[in-house]
Amino acid sequence: MINGGTRRVRSLRTTVVIAGLAALFVALATANLCVGSMAIAPNDLVAALCSSDRTGTVAQVVWSIRLPRLIAAGLLGAALALAGVLLQTFFNNPLAGPYVLGISSGAKLAVAVLMVAVMSRAGIVTSWMSIGAATLGSFAVTAFILLVSERVRSANTLVVAGVMVGYMCGAATDFLVTFAGDASIVNLRNWSMGSFSGTSWDDVRTMAVVVIASSIAVFCLAKPLGAYQLGEAYAQSMGVNVRVFRKAIIVLSSLLSACVTAFAGPISFVGIAVPHVAKRLLGTSRPSAVLPATFLGGADFCLMCDLIARTAFAPTEMSVSAVTALFGAPVVIWVLLGKQEHAREV
Amino acid sequence: MRRDVVLRCEDVTAGYVHKPVVREANLEVRAGQIVTLIGPNGAGKSTLLKTIAGSLGKQGGAVYLVGKRLEELSVLEQARVRSVLLTERPRTELLTCCDVVRLGRQPHTGRFGTLSEIDQKAVRRAMELLQVEDLAEQQFMRLSDGQRQRVMLARALCQDPRLLVLDEPTSYLDIRYQIELYDVLRSIVAEGKLGIVMTLHELTLARQVSDWVACIKDGVVVAQGTPQEVFTSAVIDDLYDLEPGSFDPLTGAISIGCRAERMPEGGASHEAT
Repeated sequence: MINGGTRRVRSLRTTVVIAGLAALFVALATANLCVGSMAIAPNDLVAALCSSDRTGTVAQVVWSIRLPRLIAAGLLGAALALAGVLLQTFFNNPLAGPYVLGISSGAKLAVAVLMVAVMSRAGIVTSWMSIGAATLGSFAVTAFILLVSERVRSANTLVVAGVMVGYMCGAATDFLVTFAGDASIVNLRNWSMGSFSGTSWDDVRTMAVVVIASSIAVFCLAKPLGAYQLGEAYAQSMGVNVRVFRKAIIVLSSLLSACVTAFAGPISFVGIAVPHVAKRLLGTSRPSAVLPATFLGGADFCLMCDLIARTAFAPTEMSVSAVTALFGAPVVIWVLLGKQEHAREV
Repeated sequence: MRRDVVLRCEDVTAGYVHKPVVREANLEVRAGQIVTLIGPNGAGKSTLLKTIAGSLGKQGGAVYLVGKRLEELSVLEQARVRSVLLTERPRTELLTCCDVVRLGRQPHTGRFGTLSEIDQKAVRRAMELLQVEDLAEQQFMRLSDGQRQRVMLARALCQDPRLLVLDEPTSYLDIRYQIELYDVLRSIVAEGKLGIVMTLHELTLARQVSDWVACIKDGVVVAQGTPQEVFTSAVIDDLYDLEPGSFDPLTGAISIGCRAERMPEGGASHEAT
């Protein structure tokens, strides 16, 4: 019974879901490369991608604008979704995520401070500098949220505290933007809305290093993450070194969300919504299935939202964060409704 | 039948830095034995149990797990010889019962937690013993309290411990499940491979299921012995501050009438510690 058909059906389902998400990624990536202010036919796209000649208009659009932007959207979406899984497991709270808990806003404030400080001295902000600042900001907020979570047991209070921290950091950032010098203000305003536009290959290289390294580390934590679903005390009783594990989770989730904020600004709801949809599709919350599905799902979700942000009201570009909120926030409501239903069952 | 000592507490003082809740407790659990801690709410039963379970540090004395001091064993080494059943109710989202039970094999699996043939056999055996095979593919969150308790116990059992620590295993359970639990616990220790230490509120159940009973009052082990020795009117009346003669050792019942407001009975109540 235990090792019979049902288990095989489930592993088949996992395979199908992950393969489907991968196929969706290919489709969305192609759409992202072809669609835009300059439409590119699929065979022109293949030609541009395959040839070494990068001087043509098509090749230029593909290689220096659309491809880096596409990779950034995919990597950062995956990073946000993974950070969401980590935070949800860690706080044992289905509503946790880097944006809702204010972690993205903390990172945003730190980067804004860095930008204003450096640009007022006519310096240049490198990608590594903004990742560093964003990570510091993420850590500060995560530490605060941890303090709150030790004092309150209620999952909802934790979320409210996070939202409030987010507002405070947001207000401080707005304040900075208002008083920032003319030179930096355009840059700052674009970035603080959340956007993948203007990603350079240098940025892509940096974020690839950070996101891929962190993601591999997260995949290695699949086993203790599974035990942690029963709560911290049970995890420890099953051999998880809780002190080390907690540190690893905090470092990795901060790093992943900081990387997103440093390059694309704060992007909302990906961290909450994608893990839930992935779990529903898979029909399980076992980390060994959820982590890869979430990684791919986050990439898919951000590619789709970026495509919409770019093309819906072209030539005006929407902020990606607005699009992700449009699709992500209903998922949160759905989760809340599901919780109510469950409370009634018990 | 092996009868080695799986747990020994020597003068254990436990609790919080400036406020020890349990003082100089001595206790021994052998394989094949069920040892039960009884006493009023807030007396320190749970504190002592948490110290034994390794989730609370101690201020003094020594805890020996299968002959080794607790401090000498890593978290993982402890997990290979001791498993626990706690009062907290896990929220598992979309895990099936089988998923939950399989988690118990974690201390024995490699980095990615893949279950070997031996691991799967252990999972199957534990689920059979607790009669939860039929629930294997059901969502854990959709079960009744009694079924969840069984699944969690199957998980603790397939962890293959020498010492099983149970904190109030009857809480949330109605009388029928309490009786079933009695059978289950006796069949677990019947092989003589592992010992059980637990806290219980129900005196009747404690008296019937235990091989050894320790009474804790105000953080001190005031009496311990076989159920026959402990369940006397003198010991129980004193332990719970009852009017002399309230506890009837023949029936195990407590006569209600005098000072009934101080009765500590009631499965749903929690320890304040």
